[in-house]
Amino acid sequence: MKQLSLFLCFKYLCGKKILLLSIAAVAMSCALLITVASLFTGFIEAIETSADEHLGDIVIAAPATMTISKYDRLISSLEANGQIEAATAVLSGQGLLHLGKGTGDVRAVRIWGIEPASRERVTPFADLLVKHKGEIEPPAFTAAGDTEQLAGFVGIGVVARPDDVTDEYDFKQVTASIGHKVFLTTGTSELKARIIKFTIADVVFSGVYEFDKDFVYLPIDALAGKLYPSQGKVADMIQIRLSRRARPEAALAVVRGIWRNFAEKELDWPNYAISLAEISTSRQMQARLLAEYKKQMGMLMLIFGVVSAGVVLLIFCIFYLIVMTKQKDIAIVKSCGLDSGAVGLLFVVFGLVIGLIGSGLGVFIGYLFTRNVNYIERLISIVFGLKLWKSSTYMFTRIPNQVNWESVVWIGLAAVLAAAVGALIPAIAAAMVKPVKILRYE
Amino acid sequence: MYKLILPTRYFLKRRITYLAVVAVALCVFIVVVVMTVMNGLVSEFKGKNHDFVGDCIVSTESLVGFAYYEDFLKQLEKQEFVQAATPVVKGFGLLTQPGTGRNIGVEIMGIEPAGFCEATKFAQTLYYHKENPSDAFTPTYNPTLAGCVVGIDMISRSRDRSGKYYHSSEPMRIELMVTCFPLTAKGALAKAATDLVNSKTIYYSDDSHTGLVKVDARMVYLPFELAGELFGMAGATPRASAIHIKFADGTSLKTGVGRVAKMWKVFAAARANQKYANLLKNVTVQSWPDYRRSSIAPMEKEQMMLILLFGMLGIITVFIIFVVFYMIISHKTKDIGTLKSVGVSRAVIVQLFLTFAALVGLVGAGIGAGAGCGFLVKINDMEDWLFERFGWQLWDRTVYAIGEIPNDIKWEVLAVIMATAVLAALAGAFLPSVRASGQRPVEVLQVNQL
Repeated sequence: MKQLSLFLCFKYLCGKKILLLSIAAVAMSCALLITVASLFTGFIEAIETSADEHLGDIVIAAPATMTISKYDRLISSLEANGQIEAATAVLSGQGLLHLGKGTGDVRAVRIWGIEPASRERVTPFADLLVKHKGEIEPPAFTAAGDTEQLAGFVGIGVVARPDDVTDEYDFKQVTASIGHKVFLTTGTSELKARIIKFTIADVVFSGVYEFDKDFVYLPIDALAGKLYPSQGKVADMIQIRLSRRARPEAALAVVRGIWRNFAEKELDWPNYAISLAEISTSRQMQARLLAEYKKQMGMLMLIFGVVSAGVVLLIFCIFYLIVMTKQKDIAIVKSCGLDSGAVGLLFVVFGLVIGLIGSGLGVFIGYLFTRNVNYIERLISIVFGLKLWKSSTYMFTRIPNQVNWESVVWIGLAAVLAAAVGALIPAIAAAMVKPVKILRYE
Repeated sequence: MYKLILPTRYFLKRRITYLAVVAVALCVFIVVVVMTVMNGLVSEFKGKNHDFVGDCIVSTESLVGFAYYEDFLKQLEKQEFVQAATPVVKGFGLLTQPGTGRNIGVEIMGIEPAGFCEATKFAQTLYYHKENPSDAFTPTYNPTLAGCVVGIDMISRSRDRSGKYYHSSEPMRIELMVTCFPLTAKGALAKAATDLVNSKTIYYSDDSHTGLVKVDARMVYLPFELAGELFGMAGATPRASAIHIKFADGTSLKTGVGRVAKMWKVFAAARANQKYANLLKNVTVQSWPDYRRSSIAPMEKEQMMLILLFGMLGIITVFIIFVVFYMIISHKTKDIGTLKSVGVSRAVIVQLFLTFAALVGLVGAGIGAGAGCGFLVKINDMEDWLFERFGWQLWDRTVYAIGEIPNDIKWEVLAVIMATAVLAALAGAFLPSVRASGQRPVEVLQVNQL
């Protein structure tokens, strides 16, 4: 008899089309929260990853006006340590680039003097080159047909602008710029401008706007020769890639030790200047900005979470409606022997089931939306002519589309719980139905 | 009379109605708060852009600039709808600070301070020369030196937690060297035979705080003549990059821009056969929102996306109202049967329940809007309290160029949100009302149904 009552109860509940509404509401809220959380965390992770990829895991930066001479020895010491896989030197500066005869095109640029071969061991630099991508040989600063001429690389944003509508670069224009001779003016702390004439040997396209828009890469020796002619080989930054098993925090202490040993022995720097050198992980360098992004994400999730709490109200209303309209049926199953606790539990379990189905559907929709967000964004731009995502605004060429499974788990669980909470009061109301009152005929 | 009494009684007597009211109030509260803050941020940002460039801009993107700007300026100054017009030279330069190793690629704007302050609100962005902007390029510590105004974020200044910058009572003596590539009218390097660049030593005289991050972090303002010389735009046929215009009071933006565009068309056509006429072809006449479109558009898009997301969530409120009304109506079959049996039409039944729904929507929207306004009025105090107690700020003012949280309630926005809430309530109640009106008295008033 009890089984029959349970069967009847489930039949009553399953037959209510209005329950589809609560499933739809749970699914919609769930999908929305999962998409927002995934896109935000994807964006934050992309910032961290791009910093890792372009700067290495740890960076030693010399204080302003100071340069690190004999950096080869520092790199050797670093690479001798088991925790460090490779290190490379960078000499940085800023300048003004004139893009060749008659173009009238002048850009403010950031300049990095680099060693392509050692850089390739620290960052996937060769993969970013437009012309020499995929070549087995490490990238080199050589201009086709002119080995005597100084050659350099430029960020893709220096030679082209992304299209206003599609946000894509014209690669014909980009490749056409390879081989052009350009003029760079830069300087040091002395009040004297230096002119460097070089040929564009390749173009760097990383997909990260910050690194694409205004970077110029030159051989470190040539740049040092122009900026610091009397100092020989100098750098102002050492970028370090850790071995896979190394932990950045532990490795940071090791790097600090090696730096101090090297600086005290090899550099004529005063002690305070040695301490002023900034040694941090590339993620630490982004920490302040990332903390703000995480705060904004938290606020957005809170707002959407509160609004999504409406789902609890909706489920409550639907279950209450069922209880009120099906009082006679409940009374019948109770008169068949199902006790009040079981009736109440049945409604709660049904709320849980609704939550499970709704959140399952929400996870599926959220997953589909997040994974295909770039296609959807492209479709919107084609159909409505509205470009929602631009690398110049949001840093990256592509929208990060990784689903954040950690958020999926807690959002899904919260949805199931919310559904159960929504069903709780109607369940109590159902449990309190008195068959003798409902079924009497007066 | 019963058309008002019945809905009011239903509203007051049915406790389940309060749920619908709560749902509407919650939605309205959140939308009012978020939209007010977002609207405030967007309009503040737009205002800053407007203040920075003036009403209308005649400009070219080419760094070579365009010739005959002086003639066009004379024509503009004769127009009664133009209050002020001023030429500007723009380009890129390298700024070097001796002894510090600081070497920054910057944007340079060559301006005539008096004219530029009339056409834009540049004077308000200055710190030391707010009252006498004509002397913006005169360093107070030595008026004989060539001065410059720099974007406030270019000189290392610390900010307090409200985002205000600290300043000393007098500007510090800072020597800078600016280096530029002078260009010919054809875009080639003007000093190709010599050392290619023009350099000039200048001295910090003031800083400008426009509130636009990209401008404050990279812009250096120089006297118009000096910038023209550095970029190779001075000479027998001087060139400029832009003319910034402010319209007289009473001239609408559209009318003003249209008239300037017409004037420019005639002006350019008249000089089609003159030397450097090709430079005039690249010149555009734009209103300030079009000129600053690339900066403003992303914020407007984000605002639109937020509205869209809230719209999706608002659907849940419609669902709730639907269910609540469905439930209420299913319990009011006797009332409906009685009303119909005394001759009340289907339309009036629908009207009764829609009035009830409108009441739910109005009360919910009123509560939500009231709570939202109250929250907004106190939002900055609450943030101050949170910062003092827990060190928490909604936006870290040392990172974001935002002052107070915008809490200026726009009554038209509030009215739209409330009206939408009432409409949502009506939409949610429509189907149950129609269903109720279809009930037949002969069926619902049968003794076995009572």
